[in-house]
Order: sequence, then C-alpha cells, then structure tokens
Amino acid sequence: MPVETLRDWIPVALSADLPPATVIPAHTPSGILALWRSASGKLTALADRCPHRGMRLSYGFVRGEALSCIYHGWSYGLTGQCQRIPVHPELIPPAAIKAASYAVEERNGVIWIAFEQPETPPPALEGFKPLRSITLNTDAERITATGEMRVLLAGIDVLLLIVGIGVGETLAHVMVDAAASDVDCIAVSRAVEGWRRECEQLGLEELAS
Amino acid sequence: MILYDYILSPDAYKIRLMAALVGVKLELRAVDVHPGREHESEALRALNPAGSIPILIDGDLILTESAAMLVCLARLAAPAWLGGNDVADAARIQQWLAFSLRLTDHLGGARATEMLVEPGDLPALQAAGTIDLRELEAALTERRIIGQTFLVADRPTIADIACFPYVALAPDGGLSLDPYPSIRLWMRAIRMLPGFIEMPGIHRLHELKPEPVSQLPETV
Amino acid sequence: MTMAHQPMIDQWYPVALASQLPPEGRATQLMGMPITVLPGTPVRVVTNDGRDLHVIVRYGHVWTSLGKPSKELFDIPEADQPGRRLVEVGVVRVRCSPLRAVENFLDIAHFPFVHTDILGAEPHTEVGKYDVEIRDEEDEVWATKVQFYQPQAAKSASGGITTDYMYRVPAPTSTVLYKTCPARPGEWDVITLFVQPLTEELCDVWPWMALFDDETALTDLIHFQQMIFLQDRSILENQIPRLLPLDPGREIPTRADLTSVAYRRWLKRHQFTYGAQLVAQ
Repeated sequence: MPVETLRDWIPVALSADLPPATVIPAHTPSGILALWRSASGKLTALADRCPHRGMRLSYGFVRGEALSCIYHGWSYGLTGQCQRIPVHPELIPPAAIKAASYAVEERNGVIWIAFEQPETPPPALEGFKPLRSITLNTDAERITATGEMRVLLAGIDVLLLIVGIGVGETLAHVMVDAAASDVDCIAVSRAVEGWRRECEQLGLEELAS
Repeated sequence: MILYDYILSPDAYKIRLMAALVGVKLELRAVDVHPGREHESEALRALNPAGSIPILIDGDLILTESAAMLVCLARLAAPAWLGGNDVADAARIQQWLAFSLRLTDHLGGARATEMLVEPGDLPALQAAGTIDLRELEAALTERRIIGQTFLVADRPTIADIACFPYVALAPDGGLSLDPYPSIRLWMRAIRMLPGFIEMPGIHRLHELKPEPVSQLPETV
Repeated sequence: MTMAHQPMIDQWYPVALASQLPPEGRATQLMGMPITVLPGTPVRVVTNDGRDLHVIVRYGHVWTSLGKPSKELFDIPEADQPGRRLVEVGVVRVRCSPLRAVENFLDIAHFPFVHTDILGAEPHTEVGKYDVEIRDEEDEVWATKVQFYQPQAAKSASGGITTDYMYRVPAPTSTVLYKTCPARPGEWDVITLFVQPLTEELCDVWPWMALFDDETALTDLIHFQQMIFLQDRSILENQIPRLLPLDPGREIPTRADLTSVAYRRWLKRHQFTYGAQLVAQ
C-alpha cells in the first residue's frame, strides 16, 4: 500500500481522535490538511491554509457545519466554499473564495484521504480495530517498504499502517486484533512505545554507520 | 489570598486557572518578571528566596511551589479535585505533580529560550520535552482505553491542572502537539470545563459559543 | 544578503532596550549579521569583524543600521509630551517574517477572535470604512478614522467602548498606533511595535508605549501589552508562507484590509523586500 499516485488512499487519523465539531492537522506525505468533522458528523479535508491571510485552518474551530479560521473567523462549508466573512457581515462571499477540498472516507475506525477521488474505497482491514496513532522520528522506508506490516506485540496480532510524513518523520496507525480486550489493548499500547524506541534507535545506528 | 502573578508564567496560570475553576477569588499582584526581573528583587526574595513566580500568601502561609498551591486551593474550596480515597489514585496524583516539574524544566525551558530569548540549550530541552509529551500521551491513551478522559479518577483533578499549561504552551517552545491525539482531546476536555480561563498562547474555544445568528448570510 | 536588500539595509532597527543592557552586552543579529550591543556612554553596536555601526538611543531602545541611513529615525512627537508614561514592554521572539509582524499589528478584524473579550468580541465583528493613504511628504503609510468596538480597550478601561484608531508605518518594520485615550479624552495613546529582523523568517519584537494613565501600575500596563502580543504570536507562527506575499494573487484582501494593501504597496515601491515573497510559490 505504498502511496504511488494521487488516487491512493492515505490513512491520516483514527475516527476516535476526531469527535464531532473538531478539527485536526492531518499529516500526509504531501503536506498537512485541515481535517474536520462537523457537528452532525460529516468529514471534510481542506487545504490547511485560509485563502485570506494564509493562516492554518487546522488551528480553527468548528461551529455546526462550518470550519472557521481562528484569525478572522472566515468560515468554510463542507465543500470548502467560504460562507461568511465576519468583518463584512452583510457580504455573501464570492464563489472564488474557497479552500481546496480532498476526498475523505472513514472505514472501520480509520480516516483516509486522497488527493484525487480513487476508484475503489479504502481497505476495510477486517479482523482489526484501531488502537492509536503515533509519530516516529525516523524515515518510513527504514520501517517498511510497503506501508503496511503485521507484527506480534505483547502476544497480540497487530497491523501497522505506516505513512512517511516528512524527512525523519513517520506516522503509524496501530490496529489490533478485533477480539483484543482492554487489558490486551493497554499491553499493546505499551509495547508500541518499545517498538518505536527500537525503530528510532535502528534509524540512528544506520545513520551512524 | 494573594497571588504574586505574572501573566506569561504557566506556573502562575495554573493557580489562576485552579482558582477560577473552584470559585476562589485571588488578589493578584503583578510582578514585572520580563523585562524588569522584579522576581529577583530583594522584596520578593524575602518572600521566596528562590526568586521564582508564583508566590501564594494566605495569612501566615507562604507557598512558592505551584503543586502545593493547587493542593491548598483544592482543600479549601473543592476537595473533589484531590481525587477520591483510593490509595493508587492518591499516589498517581503525587506522581503527576512531580511529573509536572519535569514539564516546567523541559517545556518551560524550551519556551523561555525560544520565545523570551533567555539562555538555554534549545535542542536538548526540546528532546527532553518530547520524552515527557510521549509519556503523557501514552498515559492518556491508556486512560481512553478504559473509557476515562482525565489523568486520575473519573473527573478532573489537580493532576490535570498541574500538567495542562506547559503542555498546551509547548508550541511556544517550538514543539508541535500534532503527534499527540490523546493529549489534544484531554486539553479540549480541560478547556471545556465550566469556569475555564485562558492565558496568552491558549486561545478561546470559539466553538463553544454559537455563531452570531443575526449576521448569517441568507444563502450560500 | 544581496544588494537587492540595500533599501532595507539602510534603515534603522531596534536591537536592545537601553535600560536592560547586560554588562557583557547583548549578542544578537540583524538581517542575518551577528552584532553585539555594548553598554556604556555612548552605547556601541559592533559587528563580529569589529565594525562600529551607527547608533541612536531613542524611545527606550538602541537603534542601529547595517548601512547608511539616509534619514534620521522617524519622529514620534508624543514621546516628548509631558505627562505621558513611557512603557518598555520587553522582547518577544517570533518565528515569522518581520513584515508579517507589522502587518498583523495594522489589522483590527482579528480582535474578536484572537483578543477575545479584550480588544474585540462577537458579534461586534464589522469594520466600517476608514481612510488609508501613503503620505508623500513624510513617505509614511497612514490609516485614519478607524473605529472598532472593544470590550476592554485598555488596562484603564472598564466596560466596552467604541475606540478610535490611527495607524502609521514610518519605517518598514516599525509601526505606531494612536488610539482613544480613556483617561484623557482628546488625546491619543501611543502604542508602537518596533521589529528587529533577525532573518527573513525570524524576528525580535519590541513593543513600546507612551500613555496618559496615572492610575494603572506600570507592571499592569506592561503585562496588558505582553498579553495582547502573545495572543498574536501563535497566529504569526502559523501563517503560510512565513514570508509576506507581495504577489497580489496569493492572498485575498477585503475592504477591511486596506491598510495592509497600502503597506504592501509601499514596501514594493521602496523595494523593502527583506522578509517578503515576491513571486507566489
């Protein structure tokens, strides 16, 4: 599942980390998006830059079905179209004021985005449930060539979705066996910390050699 | 109660925040820490030889450690913030109060260096701060697995207030909070508490207030 | 640094608070050039290779230039007016273009969202028409007749008032704000932002004020201004790009942004482009 084309789905976050009426910065190999969920639960991925003054929209706030920029309160709807400019309350914003929006889908507790609409839905990852997302200070290629790996952590079956999000920066979404109990999940969460230290140490040693 | 205060001090903010949350009125005395370095003056050293801010004075009681001040405010006004009687919980609260000193050293050190142009080894402070943030993220993730939101017990305690400010202000020291989804949700839960107040660098949660209806355009 | 930046090299910049110089001096940089500000009479500013730079001590700060300033430091006549309190606010470092720091200071529309319940509050978000000009004689950008509703306009203000403002840009990284003086109607309080460009994407910001206010403790005045600027800092560090875009297609101004439009035009006219992005990337 390495990201090869703009039509590929990229896992960016776990559903549980984005409750209704919140926004987060979603890191991808091609930069950051403002990923937000409306009060009614609809997901939107927008370019992380307010067209007005360049402020990152992921620092903004969600009211109802719109994302507002924290700087001047310009708000954007589910298509990225600017809906409201508080400094000119009577003005209906021109259609040209728009933040670019991208394909986004949620499946089995994982949120995926794509820069162009893919032909198929993102993978279901049946048999697994989402546990947590972590960031590693190492290159994704040092961990896996395919973007996906199966490992046994704390004796539990674990699927890792690996995304390089920058030089020396990698995002890993940790999925565990769907049958894992809370106790198992905590054990895996702890083991993941060790796995991260190992990966980062390995990266440092490779750099040194 | 008198608080010797500095608007930009996350430790002083802990006390203002706690007092606001539990409804205690503080008499604030602003100290010119930057640029005046008034906290190092003889008058203030007489109260606190360490020359640090905040200082809390309640009659004969002079406190110079923010963790002790949080205990004091909770005992006086809202004992539920000290957690329950459970031994493990009581110990966990002490654990997080001690942990919060690491945050002051590392995240606070990075912030003072990066933002207020004070001397410091920024990369070393940031590296140590990252280890702290990862530890907190891991702990909060475990809490979420068992359906909990806060660090200890099933409600906010002084442990949360002790850790919140330096974490929320980590970006001031050049440390992004993007890698920590559980910390993000925990901070949001704290910011949504009734009576919550901000400090510079921590913005208002505008989403808690409805859009001013009268100004909505008719169509889009 | 290229010759292209000569117009900005020849300007004055703040590099220290005169009252706060440590005995060993303040080691800092100006437009990428390491310099040291040395206390004494007179105060000196030297480069690492021992060159003495021009120095002026004014408005509480030490000012210097890497080049040959063609003009004296801009005048703020109010600074010498009897009865005003001169307030040194200190320094805050910001990871942004020095020009972005100035532009944010010229903007009022962000008050309700960034300085909530202090300088602005919803639903009072509208900015009415105001006047903007580039004054040829002084060669300064001016915005006048600016009005905005403020819940707490200054430390000495209790309750909301409609506040009047004038904005002035006398130098590429220095700006002066005149606003309603609650304590003395008819006079203007003066609040400035002096910006030291460390690099094109990093600056030290030195706010300074000259106020009529005999009531408020000096420390409270300092803290009020520190609070306001620190609320701006997290915005300034998260604008993309870090450099100020001078290409008109890159950002979308509205009528409320006319001061910023004039500032950008004035920067372009004088080739004050250190910290600017000329072509969209």
